[in-house]
Amino acid sequence: MASTPPNQTRAQRMDRFMAFAISGGGLAIIGAVLAMLLFITKEALPLFLPPLVRPAGTASALPAGGIWLEEAGKAGVFLSAGEGVRALRLPTGAALPAPAEGPPRPWRAFTRPNAKGESLVIGADGRLSILSLAWTKPAGENDPAQWTLETRWQGDLPLRDQPRELLHFRLIEGDGLGGGQTLRVVVLLDQGLGWADAPLEATPAPLAWKPIPLEAGLTPTAAAWSADGRNLSVGTLEGQLLDLDVEAGTALASASFGEPIQSLGFALGQSSLLVGGREGGLAAYQRVRVGEAFQLQRFHAFPRLQGPVLGFMPSQRDKRFLAWTPEQAVVDHLTTERRLFSAPLEGRGLAALAPRGDLILHADAATGGLRFWTLDAPHPEVSFGLLWGKTHYEGYEKPEQVWQSTGGTDDFEPKFSLIPLVFGTLKGTLYAMLFAFPLAVLGALYTSQFATPRLRNVIKPTVEIMAALPSVVLGFLAGLVMAPLLERMAVEVLVYPFVVLLLMLALAPFWGRLSRPFRNAFGEGREVLWMVPVLLVGLWLASLAGPWVEQAVMGGSYRTWLQTAMGVTYDQRNSLVVGFAMGFAVIPIIFTISEDALSSVPRSLTSASLACGASPWQTAWRVVLPTASPGIFSATMVGLGRAIGETMIVLMATGNTPVMDWSPFNGMRTLSANIAVEIPEAPLHGTLYRVLFLAAFLLFIFTFILNTVAELVRQRLRRRYESI
Amino acid sequence: MSRVAEHFRRGGVFVWASGAVLAFCLAMILGLVGFIASKGLGYFWPSPLVQIQTPEGPVLGELTGHEAALGGEPARIQVRVGNRDLYGQDFRWIPSDGLGAPERPLDAVLVERLEYGAFIGRVAFLDHQGQRAASGAEALRQATLHLPEAARLRRHIQSIEKDQIGELNHRMEKLRLARRKADQGGDAAAAAALDAQTAALQARYDTLQASLEKAREDARAWTVGLETVEGQIKEVPLGGIVRLLSPNALDGPGRLAVYLSRLWEFIADDPRESNTEGGIFPAIFGTVMMVMVMSVLVVPLGVVTALYLREYARQGWLVRAVRVAVNNLAGVPSIVFGVFGLGFFVYSLGGTIDQLFFSDSLPTPTYGTGGILWASLTLALLTVPVVVVATEEALGAVPRSQREASLAMGATKWQTLWNVVLPSATPGILTGLILAIARGAGEVAPLMLTGVVKLAPAMPLDGTFPFFHLDRKFMHLGFHIYDVGFQSPNSEAAKPMVFMASFLLLLVVVILNLFALNLRRKLRERLGGSTF
Repeated sequence: MASTPPNQTRAQRMDRFMAFAISGGGLAIIGAVLAMLLFITKEALPLFLPPLVRPAGTASALPAGGIWLEEAGKAGVFLSAGEGVRALRLPTGAALPAPAEGPPRPWRAFTRPNAKGESLVIGADGRLSILSLAWTKPAGENDPAQWTLETRWQGDLPLRDQPRELLHFRLIEGDGLGGGQTLRVVVLLDQGLGWADAPLEATPAPLAWKPIPLEAGLTPTAAAWSADGRNLSVGTLEGQLLDLDVEAGTALASASFGEPIQSLGFALGQSSLLVGGREGGLAAYQRVRVGEAFQLQRFHAFPRLQGPVLGFMPSQRDKRFLAWTPEQAVVDHLTTERRLFSAPLEGRGLAALAPRGDLILHADAATGGLRFWTLDAPHPEVSFGLLWGKTHYEGYEKPEQVWQSTGGTDDFEPKFSLIPLVFGTLKGTLYAMLFAFPLAVLGALYTSQFATPRLRNVIKPTVEIMAALPSVVLGFLAGLVMAPLLERMAVEVLVYPFVVLLLMLALAPFWGRLSRPFRNAFGEGREVLWMVPVLLVGLWLASLAGPWVEQAVMGGSYRTWLQTAMGVTYDQRNSLVVGFAMGFAVIPIIFTISEDALSSVPRSLTSASLACGASPWQTAWRVVLPTASPGIFSATMVGLGRAIGETMIVLMATGNTPVMDWSPFNGMRTLSANIAVEIPEAPLHGTLYRVLFLAAFLLFIFTFILNTVAELVRQRLRRRYESI
Repeated sequence: MSRVAEHFRRGGVFVWASGAVLAFCLAMILGLVGFIASKGLGYFWPSPLVQIQTPEGPVLGELTGHEAALGGEPARIQVRVGNRDLYGQDFRWIPSDGLGAPERPLDAVLVERLEYGAFIGRVAFLDHQGQRAASGAEALRQATLHLPEAARLRRHIQSIEKDQIGELNHRMEKLRLARRKADQGGDAAAAAALDAQTAALQARYDTLQASLEKAREDARAWTVGLETVEGQIKEVPLGGIVRLLSPNALDGPGRLAVYLSRLWEFIADDPRESNTEGGIFPAIFGTVMMVMVMSVLVVPLGVVTALYLREYARQGWLVRAVRVAVNNLAGVPSIVFGVFGLGFFVYSLGGTIDQLFFSDSLPTPTYGTGGILWASLTLALLTVPVVVVATEEALGAVPRSQREASLAMGATKWQTLWNVVLPSATPGILTGLILAIARGAGEVAPLMLTGVVKLAPAMPLDGTFPFFHLDRKFMHLGFHIYDVGFQSPNSEAAKPMVFMASFLLLLVVVILNLFALNLRRKLRERLGGSTF
């Protein structure tokens, strides 16, 4: 037996290699294409992951009465009456150098530092000072040992009476040029609440406490100034929450909290008031205007804590805040009411949240022992309920579905409800399908059943070309040509179909009177061509009838008529324009698939119908259409898929405002256009970025399911035709 | 009467109605294409300048539109008056009541300027180096005479500014990076050598700058005094004038020449005045480049997938499911592909490439930002189903007898595929490619996320090494339409440009599709069978 010739071996080796390469390559490509879905899911998924909490050790330190954490949580400033200002490296608890100046110790009283690192201190000499803390860091230096802590003392104001407790203060920026800061402080005196204000720049004059009268029987426990310092919120032992105008001495609003109020605080932005009860109740209030009066509205409630709520600390990045009791420390998110963190505590103490909201610290009041936790919750502002339900946002009267991803200020509350976008998508799709479906199906029916073969060979490629028209061109025409035209001629356009219908009905008898040979030779199968002049005449008639209708029915101007009779405003770029332009993009898709289904109906069926004496139309309507209806259904599904995902047309032909309104004369914002508008500005891996990936995921899944259903229906239909 | 009733009962009317619907659809398509073509192509035809006496004084310009009286609004005409720098607006609406008879003054000129758009008025005088050279009709004649020279000078200045100085800047930037590396490495000798090179380059830069100054000086030598119809004088250097014509004095061939020259400018020149004037060559070029890169990527991807699915995979429910899935990808919205392209190609892949190979220039991203490579890859992914479907169909249509003949003669499977099956399937694959190109050329949404820009500083293909810059951002016809039509401050004046860009895009897409459809029809006729 001769050995295989070398070129044959080479050929076989090549064959094996190519089989391997193509199989591997093909599988890899298919895998890569399908991995698209995985990647999009992977990018959207972290939105729904639970927050990650890790205990980050303990350290020992001296007891403190106030804690201010540095931005990254690497160092903390601790205030205590005996020791004054101390700085510690975290989480080791090692001491860092801190300036020693300040009022004589031991301090009589001091407040916990606020987020900016400001604190009020009454020294042993009974004078009031304002402490401002700041870290100076050399550029790019990450080691706290290289930082220096700056302390600035201001004020040194003598006091008339010594208060029992310093409750709350605010430094208010003066208005206008040259206006310095003003200090506003509220204190607990022996006889009740007292307040005072003092300009900071002026020479120190003794502070005199002005009493704040409360209704009889109310015992104040906590108080907090509003952001502008005009209003004072007061919590009482009787569970009343009051909103006072201290200068006028009047109560503006009150609300019942339901249990004795222990502490008050603010979330980021200083407009949502956090209220903690003696029995662990936790809620957020805001002031809303109802008519002329203000109301305190309880707009968020959080799961109850164990023990009296001792204090709050907001994050400086988002709307999360820390609250603690002797038994428990929690971090909740204001908007979503999600509990991001919860840890049991042993005994009274002081807790703090790093400005970034990623580090929680608890200092035991008795021993001074420190405990740390890290909190990794990158997207707390999103929850399933927020995306799909109504949420009560700051400044809103009631829970609503809103999409507003970015705002002008740092303390803006992002609003990520997808409902307005899904609504916009469905609205655009609905109007497009209302326009496209009848046109496409009737056109396909005509082409498949009545048109002469020659005409058919012209129509089909023309419509296929229509499918290829770039959507950006359609969008441009819709937005810049059609929208202004429709605005001028809305009535004419709406009248047009009726005019054509009337015209056809009027002409029908005349056609019936023409001789049969003439009709057979020129009419049957060529009706399309005859209809072109009819459409043109209809256009002319509509342009005549339009102004008349507008005058007779709508009193001269359709826009005022819409406004007064219907209460509807007319936007230039509205759903009608979108429906028309998007319908234009969808018609060829529905047309082509329907036409294929209709013309594949077995001839035996139509022949049988015609032989029984049915007219061609009766055959088409009662036999062909029902038989091919699964195909038309499938065509509609594919068309729907196209309309749902269409981006450029919607982007260009609507105003892109996320409103929820079915009116055809308003615009909308769709999921797809929203992605195109917002993703270029969305920070990588931020919440907006991931929400937009979620929107893309929804579009993917939705269109994929629609297309798969369509494909399955089509395959079944094909098998049925084969069996007939 | 009974005949009419009979007509209704048997549905004759409905046949007509469905015919009307179809006629409407067809009229829409043809009307749309015709409308765009006429608006776009008509724009370049020089229209006469009309002078109209209005109650507020004379108006000179091109008639561009009219609106009939509607409701309380009187009928009015739209005139393009130009002179944006003097009037503030290019267009003016004038109530058409009480207007004098329009005249067509022979000496009226339309001056297309580099800045502030067109000037419409008369030529008053021509100055050379501050001295009056001519005035009146003679000035117009002489200005026309000197115009080519001024244009030559302008191109010279442009070539110095863009090409020569641009190249110098590029080399200096490279030296700067090398210098930084040398500094970090502590290599003093290398640093000194680099400094010397930089100094040499700087010297060349200075010479170039001097000659640029000189050329600019020359360009300012001739100035034309232009007079508006109200008598306001505006002096414009001859170098700032693209075209100077008196449309009312032009004859047929003259108009045709102007038309062709404008058309050529549109196709071959760079845009001016934030894309609202000049040409769109970079957009055409960008589109073509992008489509070419996409084609290079999509053919192997699609063909290998189709070969695997049809020839190598064991046919079963899994392969059927994969086939349905791949087909359905064609129906997934393009914006989803854009999102994927941005997240995966640009941020993940591009970011990694930057970390590995371009860490010198970080934090400025090289591949970690949108670019032509990522846009093409995204579109390749988008159009792969089209190629897969077409290729599978073509592979399936190759007669079994041919394969068997080849196998029977002892050829291996691969030899059969390569020598017998693929050659017969080539037209089918080509059809798929053309359809893919047509789809890719018209897509804009994914490009907006992956690398298209309104004004690209440099083309993806140029004379600096490595000549083909896959990382660069590019311009695109479709995005140009969106941007100029919707983001431009002067979109009314730019509308004709948008129409023309739309027409070009439409032309490309329609021709490609017609070509593909024709090819496909011929193939089907040859091979028989239908593919519903």
